[in-house]
Amino acid sequence: MNSELRIKILEMVKRSGEGHIPSSFSIVDIIEYLYSSVLKYDCLKPKWSERDYFILSKGHGAGALYAVLHAKGVLKNDDIINYGTPAGILGGHPDSTIVPGAEASTGSLGHGFPTAVGIALGNKILGLSNKVFALLGDGECHEGTIWEAANIATNQELRNICAIVDWNGSAAQLMPRDDLPEKWKAFGWETFLMDGHSKDDFEKVFALVLNSKSNAPKAIIAKTIKGKGVSFMEGHGKWHHRVPTDEEMDHAILELKNEK
Amino acid sequence: MKKLREEFADTLLELGPKDSRVVVMVGDISHGILQPFAKACPGRYFNIGICEPAMVNIASGISKVGLIPVIHTIAPFIIERAYEQIKLDFGYQKLPVNLVSVGGSFDYAQLGCSHHCYTDVSLISHLNRGVVVMPGSPIEFNKLFTDIYSENNINYFRLSEQSHGVNFNREDIKFGEGIKIQDGKDVTIAVVGSQLKNAMNAAELLKSDGISTEIIYFHTIKPFDKKIIRESLLKTRRLVTLEELSEHDGLFSISIKSSIGIDGLKCEQIAIKDFIHGYGSYEDLCKKSGLDHHAVYAAVKKIVNL
Repeated sequence: MNSELRIKILEMVKRSGEGHIPSSFSIVDIIEYLYSSVLKYDCLKPKWSERDYFILSKGHGAGALYAVLHAKGVLKNDDIINYGTPAGILGGHPDSTIVPGAEASTGSLGHGFPTAVGIALGNKILGLSNKVFALLGDGECHEGTIWEAANIATNQELRNICAIVDWNGSAAQLMPRDDLPEKWKAFGWETFLMDGHSKDDFEKVFALVLNSKSNAPKAIIAKTIKGKGVSFMEGHGKWHHRVPTDEEMDHAILELKNEK
Repeated sequence: MKKLREEFADTLLELGPKDSRVVVMVGDISHGILQPFAKACPGRYFNIGICEPAMVNIASGISKVGLIPVIHTIAPFIIERAYEQIKLDFGYQKLPVNLVSVGGSFDYAQLGCSHHCYTDVSLISHLNRGVVVMPGSPIEFNKLFTDIYSENNINYFRLSEQSHGVNFNREDIKFGEGIKIQDGKDVTIAVVGSQLKNAMNAAELLKSDGISTEIIYFHTIKPFDKKIIRESLLKTRRLVTLEELSEHDGLFSISIKSSIGIDGLKCEQIAIKDFIHGYGSYEDLCKKSGLDHHAVYAAVKKIVNL
């Protein structure tokens, strides 16, 4: 699934020598589905006032966001080619002041999600029906602001926000007690489990989220595989910030093309 | 005279019904006095809880959809604790906000260093779009807040329970401009906040010693009025700064920067050197940290005699 997007991510990172490949591979399927099937979004008008918002809180997964925004026509070919260069607007973490379609500048963890809560609260104050989706890393859930903001969202009854947690096992490597579904439920969020790489599961879970009558904010805990799509990158911590050699690059692309 | 915090509440009550973009968020501080605003502007007041970094961060989302956040709690918690949120979520993202703190440097003198704040002015000044206002009286807050609250800046209004007691005409209060309190030819005293009282008391003592003191008061630290201080120093060539801020970066440092190129300048700084350990009243802690009119008098005498 989404091999072309994964190849695009690989090529961006390889060319510039900087990026987070596995962190992007674990989330690219979800982001692609959001922009294709869930978000009310006009790719020709990224500032459209009626748009749903997508905020990538784990900013190091920016490669996946860029790849999808490019596929949807928000970003240009030159933007992808110039990733990580002085001529470009794209880099290892997204800058919302220069990247069309990037709704928040993220990188330091624990910032994008509270911003999303603020957008949801702001839209509620204004009486607007735009939805807000935020994608968080599981390691990012070690940050205190995640839980401060989650608590606020529950107490403000922000039914217009959906947090999607990329549960790829990174957090558990550091802190093994890692029961994220129970934590989000305990914070008052209506919580759903989802396979982060299954289109069937996407359809099922997002339908439940969008049709929910609850006033609680929604949390989708997405079971994912870090580096999904390339067997030698899958689940391996050593690949978190690694750039592939030419040979590894060839193997990865071959594997992705065969998977298609 | 009305307290500054009360003026904050009254000013919001004045502006809120006229501007539906104004949203107030507090961290369980000033909740009571903000009830009139909460009633007059339903759905736009939030006592959001004890979670300062998230409060500031969430405000950036509110700002992103076009509302005007006014965020309020005690100075060290809103500025020092939540500084990365201010820097990244408003600075890096170029979003506007109004940060309004209370407690000054050590108004909470009975509560210890955890509630003190000497570096907030410096921190916000380092942000490109950071604006720093230290109103020393209620009319200053009302005038300056009303003038700039809806600009695309990171506005920081630092409130204290102390007032300097001077009555300004509203038309004399201009954002970004210092105020000459009195003319003099021998020494320039630059001062912020309620310390103006000490500066004026010292000037009286100095007058009887035959020393003519020019006093310049600043309610706006950034953008700083370089012109008024420079003109004064070209005349007196002697500077004493008086501030309840860290001696490492505050009124003294910006005054010195403003005087580059003025030969033979003699100066003394009266500021906070370190944590002020201990308890007592605001006046007690002023004495303990050397922020009183005797210190100003001594500093002036020192440089006049050099």
